[in-house]
Amino acid sequence: MKIALHRVVAVMLRYLFIERRNYVRFIESLFWPTMDIMLWGLASVWMEKQHVRLPNVVLVMMTGLVLWSIVSRAQLEVVMPLLEELWQRSLITLFATPLTCAEWIVGVMLNGLIKTAVVFAFGVVMVWLLYTLNVFSVGWMLLPFALSLMLFGWAVGFLGAAIVIYVGQKAQNVAWMLSFVFAPVSGIFYPISVLPSWAQKIAWGLPLAHIFEGMRTILFTGTLPWGNLLVGFSLGAFYLFLAISLFLFMFERSRRYGFDRL
Amino acid sequence: MSAVLEVTQLTKEFPSRKEHGGTFCAVDHVSFALGQGEILGLLGPNGAGKTTTIQMLLSTLGPTSGSISYFGKDFFQHRSEILQHVGFASTYVSVPHHLTVYENMVIHGRLYGMSAGERAAQSEKFLKAFGAWEIRGQMFGTLSAGQKTRVTLAKVFMTSPRVVFLDEPTAALDPDIAKEVRTFIRRQQEDQGVSILFTSHNMSEVTEVCDRVLVLQAGKIIADNTPDALAASVSTAHVYLDVGDGLKRTVAYVQSQKLSYQLEERWITIEIDEHKIAELLTELARAGVVYSQIWVERPTLEQYFLTISRQGRKE
Repeated sequence: MKIALHRVVAVMLRYLFIERRNYVRFIESLFWPTMDIMLWGLASVWMEKQHVRLPNVVLVMMTGLVLWSIVSRAQLEVVMPLLEELWQRSLITLFATPLTCAEWIVGVMLNGLIKTAVVFAFGVVMVWLLYTLNVFSVGWMLLPFALSLMLFGWAVGFLGAAIVIYVGQKAQNVAWMLSFVFAPVSGIFYPISVLPSWAQKIAWGLPLAHIFEGMRTILFTGTLPWGNLLVGFSLGAFYLFLAISLFLFMFERSRRYGFDRL
Repeated sequence: MSAVLEVTQLTKEFPSRKEHGGTFCAVDHVSFALGQGEILGLLGPNGAGKTTTIQMLLSTLGPTSGSISYFGKDFFQHRSEILQHVGFASTYVSVPHHLTVYENMVIHGRLYGMSAGERAAQSEKFLKAFGAWEIRGQMFGTLSAGQKTRVTLAKVFMTSPRVVFLDEPTAALDPDIAKEVRTFIRRQQEDQGVSILFTSHNMSEVTEVCDRVLVLQAGKIIADNTPDALAASVSTAHVYLDVGDGLKRTVAYVQSQKLSYQLEERWITIEIDEHKIAELLTELARAGVVYSQIWVERPTLEQYFLTISRQGRKE
């Protein structure tokens, strides 16, 4: 499969130019993480003051929150470009050019990587400013986990995009909600052992449980749990492969009925 | 004339909601070719399959069966390579509203692999050609319908395409701008050898611009000819005479030639093959008929279109 770099760059610039003027959307991408950091951070500060038997509760909660923002942001950065094209009725104009679906996917993922990194960095700075906590106090070890989260965020994004490219704009709410479907079984703020046994089975089948458990291991012990990292990364990559395959399949199915119906 | 586009038995069936398991055939085994440097009109009533055909030629809609080849190459095997030389503009699809005119041009140029210098030069050239250079900094979504159309056309031609599909390109334009666009299209054909597939509901425009016309009805091609030949196939010319002296002689001659006519006071309207108009006027002059006013109404493509539309509704 040949990918033309100039077309990938064209896709990146297309959405970057759209985003740079959309001040509301930019502010929104920083507003919600800020609100979460404030609400959850203050709640965990209160819990810590109650002498809860859990060391570094604020750091654990905030690190979980900042890492979760990677998943939700990565997911949105896949679905939003597609919805932009549908809202502006420009999908046909885009794919009547030499651009292939694979090139669009690569362009959108690279754009998403940049934006997610910005939002992640913003979250790290906010936690430092509000609670004088350094999410990277344990060193670089969180970065590979962050990358694994990125993979799964993209996977959820392409799952949502697969639904939208086939069903159309009326499915956009499904696309927004998808990452939150996985949140309860991800162990963002609590260990997987808290869940009922049937839910634990589901949780361990997803990369998020391995990543957030691994994160807590790093924060509590300072050691890198290679098992969690490898399983989390592998599952993330596997689900991303499945989701992209599904998106490509649904793209072709949708093309059979015509993009103008979307 | 060598063909740049060959379409063979192209068919598109959609599932029909009315009948479970049924299908609706929007394009029914259509075959045609577009020659190098030819402007081919694609006409038909709403729902005839024009837009469906164009979308299949652009790969934004997958055909049920049939083949499409451009420049001798199979379209489905060489899609990106072929679309590098194909342009498309439609009144019914848009470009990103939240980009400026110039940004849209530049990104479009990147999609076609143009260098930075080429993008800048071609953007300026074609925006100026379509009178849109002054609005290059405006957001596309804030433009009027006519401005949007002009920018869309500039975008199409900036990549120097060999084949262009224009779906109602002048629908939203003022008459003077529409005329300039038609002149531009003709110049692209003559100077650059661009081949164009053109749809429009403006029959006089199709007559002016197109070398040949395909007529679609219910997904099938029912005619393939020049605009004049199509017009002549359903209609004859009408000669209107305001007869001052010799009305009875005029009527007698018309009846002897078994021509249809209508009388209203001193006005006679005669239905006649346009090639026989000169003979009619000569004979009337010989008979001493004097008329103070004359005009001739030639058969038009619009009359042809109205006729086939009526036939389609009856069926």
